[in-house]
Amino acid sequence: MVNNKPGPEETTRSGEEGTQKRSKRFEVLDNRPVNRDGLVEEWPEVGFVAMESPNDPDPSITVEDGTIVEIDGVEREEFDFVDQFIADYAIDAEVAEEALGTDSVEFAHMLADINVPREEIKRLAAGMTPAKLTEVVNQMNTVEMMMALQKVRTRKNPGNQCHVTSVKDHPAQLVADAAESALRGFDEAETTVGITRIAPFNALSLLIGTQCGRGGVLTQCAVEEATELELGMRGMTSYAETVSVYGTEDVFKDGDDTPYSKAFLASGYASRGVKMRFTSGSGSEVNMGQAEGKSMLYLETKCVLVTKGCGVQGLQNGSISTVAIPAAVPSGLRCILAENLIAGMIDLEMASGNDQTFTHSETRRTAHMIPQMFPGTDFIFSGYSAVPNYDDMFAGSTFDSSDFDDYNLIQRDFKVDGGTRDVEEEEVIEHRNRAVRALQAVFEELGFPPITDEEVEAATYADGSEDMPDRNQAQDIDAAQELMEREITGADIVKILVDRGFEGIAKNILGILKSRVSGDYLHTSAILDEEFNVVSAVNNPNDYEGPGTGYRISEERWEEIKNYRHAVDPKDV
Amino acid sequence: MSQAKQRERTITFEETGPADDGTTPDEVVIALSPGFGEISTETLSGVSHAEILRETMAGIEEEGASIRVVRVYDTVDLGRMGLISSNLSGSGISIAIQSRGTTLIHQEDLLQLDNLELFPQGPLLVPETFRAIGRNAARYAKGESPAPVTVENDPMTRPKFQAMAAIWHIKETERLDEARGQVELDVAFN
Repeated sequence: MVNNKPGPEETTRSGEEGTQKRSKRFEVLDNRPVNRDGLVEEWPEVGFVAMESPNDPDPSITVEDGTIVEIDGVEREEFDFVDQFIADYAIDAEVAEEALGTDSVEFAHMLADINVPREEIKRLAAGMTPAKLTEVVNQMNTVEMMMALQKVRTRKNPGNQCHVTSVKDHPAQLVADAAESALRGFDEAETTVGITRIAPFNALSLLIGTQCGRGGVLTQCAVEEATELELGMRGMTSYAETVSVYGTEDVFKDGDDTPYSKAFLASGYASRGVKMRFTSGSGSEVNMGQAEGKSMLYLETKCVLVTKGCGVQGLQNGSISTVAIPAAVPSGLRCILAENLIAGMIDLEMASGNDQTFTHSETRRTAHMIPQMFPGTDFIFSGYSAVPNYDDMFAGSTFDSSDFDDYNLIQRDFKVDGGTRDVEEEEVIEHRNRAVRALQAVFEELGFPPITDEEVEAATYADGSEDMPDRNQAQDIDAAQELMEREITGADIVKILVDRGFEGIAKNILGILKSRVSGDYLHTSAILDEEFNVVSAVNNPNDYEGPGTGYRISEERWEEIKNYRHAVDPKDV
Repeated sequence: MSQAKQRERTITFEETGPADDGTTPDEVVIALSPGFGEISTETLSGVSHAEILRETMAGIEEEGASIRVVRVYDTVDLGRMGLISSNLSGSGISIAIQSRGTTLIHQEDLLQLDNLELFPQGPLLVPETFRAIGRNAARYAKGESPAPVTVENDPMTRPKFQAMAAIWHIKETERLDEARGQVELDVAFN
C-alpha cells in the first residue's frame, strides 16, 4: 500500500485477528473508495511537494542592454538550457523590471479584481520570471484563483475536448463514438492507441466519425511525435497536443529533446497548417526522478514559459498524465488550478487537464473538475472520456461516458456552460450507424479487412468494446501500415465518401482540409463552428470584467442546457 | 495466477562483463532496469520478479528462440532501455522490464518512443502476460507478425500506484551508473 494507514483489506482482517476492537465508524470510513487512493506526505528534497518548496528560489531579474542576464538568483553563465531559453524567448525584457517590482500580493489582488482588465494582467505577467509567477499565485486561495481564471482564459466562449479510444483499437467502435462525441458538443476529439502501428486506422476513424454530424470538430491522434506529425501532414488529423516539455534540463534530455528541438517541431506543424499545443503538467519531473527538489508548480511554470518562448499558442496543462502525483500531496488540486491560471496569464490557450483518473472517489473527482468548469477554460477537459473508462487508453479520464448525464445536469444546476449538450437516443443511434457505414465503405474501397454488417450493428448500439466482436488485429495492423505506404490522404477519403454516397461527411472533411490550407485556425485557442468559421482569442477574446460582461450563456444555449430529457413537464402531470 | 499460488521462486544474478552486440539471429535480449530484483523482489502490485522473468524466458523458449539477459545501468527510461537492448540483440528484438513491472517489446529500427508492444500499466501484468510477451518477442525475432498480446487497461491503476511508482523511480534512478553501461547477466532460479 502507498500509505501506511490501514487500507480496506487490512481493516477486516485485523478484526478477525482480534488484536484491536475496531470502531465501526472507522471501518466504514476505511472502506470508502477514497481510501484506496495512494496518498503520500511531502518530501521536498526530491520535489514531492505541490507548491512552495523550501528549495524554490526567490524571484529576481537583471536586465542589461535589453538582455536578461540573471533570473531568480541564477546568473546567465550558470543558466541551464531551460533558463537560457526562457530568458531569451519567453520573458518580455521591457516590462521585466516593472513586473518584478510589483508586489506579489498586490498583483494577486489585481488578478482577483474584476475591475482590472485582462490586458493589464497579460502585459505585466509577460515580464515575470518563473519564481515571480509562482509567488503571485501562491498568495491566492482556490476561489480567488477561480475568479482570476474566469478573466484570464483567452477565448470568451468556453469549450470542451474528449478522448475517443478503444482497448481493442476497434475501428467501428471508434468511428461511432467519434460521431456521438461531435453530436454531444465537443469541439475537439483525441485518440491514442493500444498498439502503436494501428494509429493510422484510429486517426481515420476519428476523422470520419467526427464529421458525420456537425462539421468542424478538430481531431488528433496522440502517438510518437514523428508519426503524429506525418498523420497531420496527410490530413488524417487536424491538431496535435502530445508535444511534451519539461521544467528541468535532465528530464528534457531523457526525452531526447531540448526547448530548441521542440520549437523546431512546433514550426513543422505550423508550416503544414496543423494546429498544435504543447503538453506539460505538475508532477512530471518528480515522476522522472529529476525534480531538483523544486515544487511541482515552480517547475510547471518553467514549462509554461518554454511553451510561450516556442511561439506555440496553446498548452495542455493541469498535471495531465501525472495527476495522481500532485493529487497525492497537500494542496495538489489547488496547484493544478494554479498552473492553469498561469497558462492563461501568459496568454496561452488552455486545455486544463481533468483528463486522467487520479482517485477512486466520486466526490474527489467532481471536486477536481469544478474549479475549471465553473470559471470556464478554453477546454475544460483536455480529454473527457467519450467512451467508458475501461476503453480509455489514456488510462481513464476524470469523467467518462457514463457521466454524460451528471455533467449535463451540473450545467443545468448552476447555469454554467461545460461545453456539452444532452442528446436524444434515436439521434445518437442514427449518427453512430451512419458513421460506421461510411467507414465500412472506405475500408471496402481501399481493400482493407472488411467491417462486417455484424460490426456495424454492434457499433451502432455499443457502449464500449465489451459489446464489440473481436477483429483480427494483426490484419488491421498490416492494413494500417499499408494506408501509410500507399500515401493515402484526407483528400482520398473525401473522394471515396462522395463516390459511396456520403456527401455530407465528405463535405465536412473537405471543410477541415480547407481550414488547414488557410491556416486561420492556428490563432490562439481556435476552434471551428459548424460553418467552419474560426472562433479564437483573436475574434472572440475574453473580455470579462465582472457581472454582465464576458461570456454569458445565450438564450438559445440555455434552452439546450435546460431541457434535460428526463425532466418532467409539470403540465403533463 | 493469484499471488498465493505463485511458487516461492527466487532469483540470483551474476554479472559476467559488459554486454556485447549479439550475433545469434533468433536472439531476444531481456533488459532489466537497475533496480530489478535489487530495490525490490516484486513489482508494484506484488508479483514476484523471479516469476515474471522465468515466465518471459519460458515464453521465448517455447518458440525455440535464444535468450540473453542484460542489466541496463545507464538509464531507467523504459523506451531508452528498449532501444538500447534491441541494438544489443542479434535479431534486433528485445524486451525491457522495469522493476515496477512496466514492460515493452522493442525493435532496433524503431524510434525510442516507438515500439512493437507496450504494457504501460505495470501493476496489471501477471506471470501469464509475461509468458505471452516472451512468446511474441520470440516470434518477432523469427520474422513473424504475431497478434499483439492483449493490452490490459484499468483506469484505477493510476490513482492507486502512480505516486508510489514515482518514489520507486526516484530510488531506481539513484542506482544509475553510466560507467557500467549494460552488463551481461547469468540468471539462476532457485
